Amino acid sequence: MTMNIFRHEFRMNLRSVITWSLSLAVLIFAILSLYSSFAGNAELLNEVMKEFPKELLIAFGMDGMDLSSVLGFYGIAFLLCQICLAIQAANYGFSILSVEERELTADFLLAKPVGRAKILTSKLLAAVSGLAITNVTVWMSSLVWVNVFRDGKPYDSKSLLLLLASIIVFQLFFLSVGMLISLLVKRVRSVTSFSMALAFGMYVLNGFGGMLGEDKLEVITPFKHFDPNYIISNAAYDLPLVLISVTCIVISVAGSYLLYTKRDIPAAV
Amino acid sequence: MNVFARELRANLRSLLIWGGIVILFITTGFAKFSAYYGNPELLAVLDGLPPALLAAFSMDAVNLTTLSGFYAAMLTFFGLLLSIAAVMWGSDTISKEERDRTVEFSLTLPITRSRLVTAKALAAMVNCVVLLLITWVATLVNVARYQPDSAFYRFLSLSVLPLMIMQMIFLAIGVFLGCTMKHYKQASSVAVSLLLGTYFLSIVSDLNKNLEFLKYFTPFKYFDSALLLNESRIDITFVGISAVIIAACLAAAYVSYAKRDLYI
Repeated sequence: MTMNIFRHEFRMNLRSVITWSLSLAVLIFAILSLYSSFAGNAELLNEVMKEFPKELLIAFGMDGMDLSSVLGFYGIAFLLCQICLAIQAANYGFSILSVEERELTADFLLAKPVGRAKILTSKLLAAVSGLAITNVTVWMSSLVWVNVFRDGKPYDSKSLLLLLASIIVFQLFFLSVGMLISLLVKRVRSVTSFSMALAFGMYVLNGFGGMLGEDKLEVITPFKHFDPNYIISNAAYDLPLVLISVTCIVISVAGSYLLYTKRDIPAAV
Repeated sequence: MNVFARELRANLRSLLIWGGIVILFITTGFAKFSAYYGNPELLAVLDGLPPALLAAFSMDAVNLTTLSGFYAAMLTFFGLLLSIAAVMWGSDTISKEERDRTVEFSLTLPITRSRLVTAKALAAMVNCVVLLLITWVATLVNVARYQPDSAFYRFLSLSVLPLMIMQMIFLAIGVFLGCTMKHYKQASSVAVSLLLGTYFLSIVSDLNKNLEFLKYFTPFKYFDSALLLNESRIDITFVGISAVIIAACLAAAYVSYAKRDLYI
């Protein structure tokens, strides 16, 4: 790793990291603050929901969700957080290497007396530290607001910790897969189009899969691997699915090193 | 006209990719629907519930065992996909010139900036309409094997209108952001945050009756599929709001792009 590149990359990302972190903290606060007004009616609602056929609840993503408990309610907030985290991580993944080619700074960077693998390591670590800051923010705001808004009701802290611990793998998935795809294509024109397609594609795939019952497609989406409802109701991960995520990360990172060290990079002039 | 044709050609690849995604979703969706179709067990449970209760949760609209109900449930996903495509196309068509450093060239062409915006916005609009047509045709092809009745076809053709209005709202917002934002990176990131924000609002507004006023702020809630399915109409208030949003965004886009300092 080269400290100069790391520091430069980290500084470039810092504003975006802060914006994402703050928005996520506000999002968690906004949703959990609704809980107290909701908790009273929620028990009634749960009674009613028991009557409904399972398929309908699945279609609404409300299956296995106990809205009267603070964690069940937090599950909604967490799912929305996951969407944001996915987009953020995919953004960094797609832009991390492609930005140099787009802004015509690749010549400058690659002329430095630093190997490509080292450049990639420094950039990757900078992006990961940015994501770690966001991760910590989500941890803190979740723990604080769940405790403030829970109305004195008990909750299973193991499930909450498991949920929060899943964030890092979730982020790394989108970061590394984004990076790999950016190296597989000839040119990334618009980072946002790519990251929206990846993040929302995975999200819609999961929603779709849930609505349609057992579906083989959903095994590729991390939204399924780290389904908040599953983690909350079982207080455990769905281990085989989590392993798929981890494998994807390992393959993507290895593939990125391989592709980047051999990549033909167009010169500015 | 040249700009328009050039834009259409440049956008073609992106259109094809989005078309492929939409077709994929529709095909897998309706293939899986066969498990639900006319499932008597599920229907019996549904019939056992008091209709008032179903209506209260607007679940009468999403009786998943009927084709119309299933399609109504899928509409939410279609709306999301088509809106993402529209907002990306809208902001990208303007801001890509600055990103690819071609803006100096295109602004030396003997046409005014506002005509440039018009041509680009129209090209993006054509893209949106084509994508909508792809959605429509793909749905028609996929439902054919379930022998839908005329009521379903009426619902299907009616549902095209709200989808199109949603596309136009997000397209106008995209063009507005592309024209107004000083840096091309801001345009797409603000577009993403608006899209996320409004989508989250639409979820939150479902949580509690007291939060229903929120639906005025999110286009995802402007068109209620229950109303569309059961009464074959859309709420005219929201058509009005949509028209105002589109007009305001476009007007602001033209005004600000005409005198904006370009990022080179």
